[in-house]
Amino acid sequence: MEFDNSQLMTMLPEIVMLTGALLVLLVDLMVRDSDRMWPYALTLGTLLAAFAAAVSVGGGSSEIILGGNYVRDAMGDSLKGALLLIAIPLFIYAREGLRKMDEWRTEYLTLGLFSILGMMIMISANGFIALYLGLELLTLSLYALVAYCRDSSKGAEAAMKYFVLGALASGLLLYGISMIYGATGKIDFPGIMQQIAADNTGDNTIFVFGMVFVVIGIAFKFGAVPFHMWMPDVYQGSSTPVTLLIGSLPKIAAVAIALRVLAGAMESLHQDWYMMLVILAILSMALGNIVAIAQQNIKRMLAYSTISHVGFIFLGILSGTDEGYRAAMFYAVVYALMAVGAFGILIALDRKGVVVDQLHQLKGLNDRHPWLALTMLLIMFSMAGVPPTVGFWAKLFVLEAVVSIDMWWLAVIAVFFSIIGAFYYIRVVKFMYFDKPIDDEPVVVGGAAQTMLAVNGLAVLLFGLFPVLVFGLMKL
Amino acid sequence: MSFEKFIFYIFSLVLIFAATMVITRRNPVHAVLFLVLAFFNAAGLWMLLEAEFLALVLVLVYVGAVMVLFLFVVMMLDVDVAEMRAGFMKNLPVGLLIGAAMIIELLMVVGPKYFGLDKFAAPVKHAADFSNTEALGMLLYTDYLYPFEIAAVILLVAIIAAISLTLRRRPDRKYIDISKQLAAKKADRLRVVKMESEK
Amino acid sequence: MIALSDYLIVGAILFSLSVVGIFINRKSVIVLLMCIELMLLAVNINFVAFSAYLNDMTGQVFVFFILTVAAAEAAIGLAILVVLFRNRRTINVQDLDLLKG
Repeated sequence: MEFDNSQLMTMLPEIVMLTGALLVLLVDLMVRDSDRMWPYALTLGTLLAAFAAAVSVGGGSSEIILGGNYVRDAMGDSLKGALLLIAIPLFIYAREGLRKMDEWRTEYLTLGLFSILGMMIMISANGFIALYLGLELLTLSLYALVAYCRDSSKGAEAAMKYFVLGALASGLLLYGISMIYGATGKIDFPGIMQQIAADNTGDNTIFVFGMVFVVIGIAFKFGAVPFHMWMPDVYQGSSTPVTLLIGSLPKIAAVAIALRVLAGAMESLHQDWYMMLVILAILSMALGNIVAIAQQNIKRMLAYSTISHVGFIFLGILSGTDEGYRAAMFYAVVYALMAVGAFGILIALDRKGVVVDQLHQLKGLNDRHPWLALTMLLIMFSMAGVPPTVGFWAKLFVLEAVVSIDMWWLAVIAVFFSIIGAFYYIRVVKFMYFDKPIDDEPVVVGGAAQTMLAVNGLAVLLFGLFPVLVFGLMKL
Repeated sequence: MSFEKFIFYIFSLVLIFAATMVITRRNPVHAVLFLVLAFFNAAGLWMLLEAEFLALVLVLVYVGAVMVLFLFVVMMLDVDVAEMRAGFMKNLPVGLLIGAAMIIELLMVVGPKYFGLDKFAAPVKHAADFSNTEALGMLLYTDYLYPFEIAAVILLVAIIAAISLTLRRRPDRKYIDISKQLAAKKADRLRVVKMESEK
Repeated sequence: MIALSDYLIVGAILFSLSVVGIFINRKSVIVLLMCIELMLLAVNINFVAFSAYLNDMTGQVFVFFILTVAAAEAAIGLAILVVLFRNRRTINVQDLDLLKG
């Protein structure tokens, strides 16, 4: 293998992340500080430094290094950049929430940084080995975080469910990978792509067989129907700061692996996988939007809403066109931004000893804290896909991708279910603006979180007015 | 039937028997022990495939560490055995149905049609001085250096997670902090009080 | 001679057994964890067999990593189990009913 130190420069973002995570771990041991300002500042610094590193090494033609395990290309650059930027408000909100719960410990920061490192590894994986290891780094950190509040029975129960189903998904994924390895003799994506394309026996049963398992594994991780059963329980059972992490960023990494595996390695099997994705997408949009209406718990509602958004992301991927792939990337990034904001607001409403997770607790929010109500309004409109928010463009781009391959019937189904979905988002808005508050306690939010939430809400509006600011950065 | 084939069948049959016992035993301690048996036989199969290093790792690390951890937890948790398998018979028909459907589908694909000897010739046996460990090591520390590093990070995360989940600081513990003791000065302990002498 | 399909059939049977195990042992978390170990073993048998018959070491490298991850996974899974037991005094899945829609 050719190896020189300049290869390490290319993976600078990962190196910065790993160093930062280890430093946070050590600083916590050295510095006795009940408020944990040092580890916290170091975490934010690490994210900024990794972002700067990603920007500085990004751009240019794609490079494959480290024995063909690591790829740096335009898609990886844009997704990694988005991931690291959205991680900053995430940690600011998480600190706010954990301090209110008296659970502000450094493990959240360390495990959170490691899970983001796992996502970065997934994004730049060029073979199944790196992909699998990145995925496990992400999920192992998340399993531990779900059980983070050790005295919470709900948390432990959710962690156990998440663990068993997650491990099952990994098993299915690995079985699929083993079949693909057996059929092609390769484990890196370009190699597999060449082998499948070069296959002239006319019988691709083994490839398709392996592919089915891989798609099921990926659908599990995405939380697409019918592999979604872990999502509502995990969202509800984890404390809100942990749901904030699980419910937002991993979708960006999931899009990356779906594109690397399906659009990259199995490009020539498009005819075989796109039908599977059509079914998963329709089921996810239908079940997600309909069941969400019945939920009284906001976190459960947002879990079902996530399931429906996953359906939309699949629409972009299944189109098989470059525009569709870009639309799926855009959708995932926008979704992560909205989800971080939505859970951030729930955290802002928490008080010492009071967890806000029921819909009726939002009643009359406008009277109690107009700014937060306005931010929530923007985010809910964006999730529903109301112009001029950015969620509208996200939906429009994936629909355009589907129409461009003459599947307008699928676009009609998608529009139909998103109209059903608009109902429960707008119900939240109705609660905030037209109902009497049931709870007159003042809302107490830390300055940093409050500022960040305002920025978050305005970003949803700004990117809605100028979608090209984000969409232009989504490159393949 | 050649001797090699005989060995293969012995290992495979015991492996499948042990796996069946793992999923049907009522007592989890028995299940863990059958799992150990399954791992031993799988290691035997890997030896036949000349993957010596992995076979040894499976026995040493898996049986030696992970299974012992399982046993430890099973015994520590003091599980109520009778209660545990209450729904066992109820789920059995559905489970068997799914299993049967799955095995038929899998066998249709992995059977001799696609993976018979005519498609994949039996591997040439390596010479006696061939070192499987060396070949694996050569790959691990060159081409797969990057995954190797990630695996290290995963193990670190496992350590952090396991400790942070299970370590409890007990408020009633009575241990002595030695550095604190050594750092104690006379002034910390002894207070000289001036008192009016009693008359 | 032993064919590649023979090894794959053993792997497939083991894989199906582990899925059946997950279905019929839905009550007990610890047996679920063991079924997952069995599933990974089935996958590993596949990889080792392919590696030998393709005469390519990559499969064995992958197994090496799967074993590493599975050990880490088992540690975290058992840690969660211990936390669960401390909180609930039970690991029956039946009793895990706090989270309902």
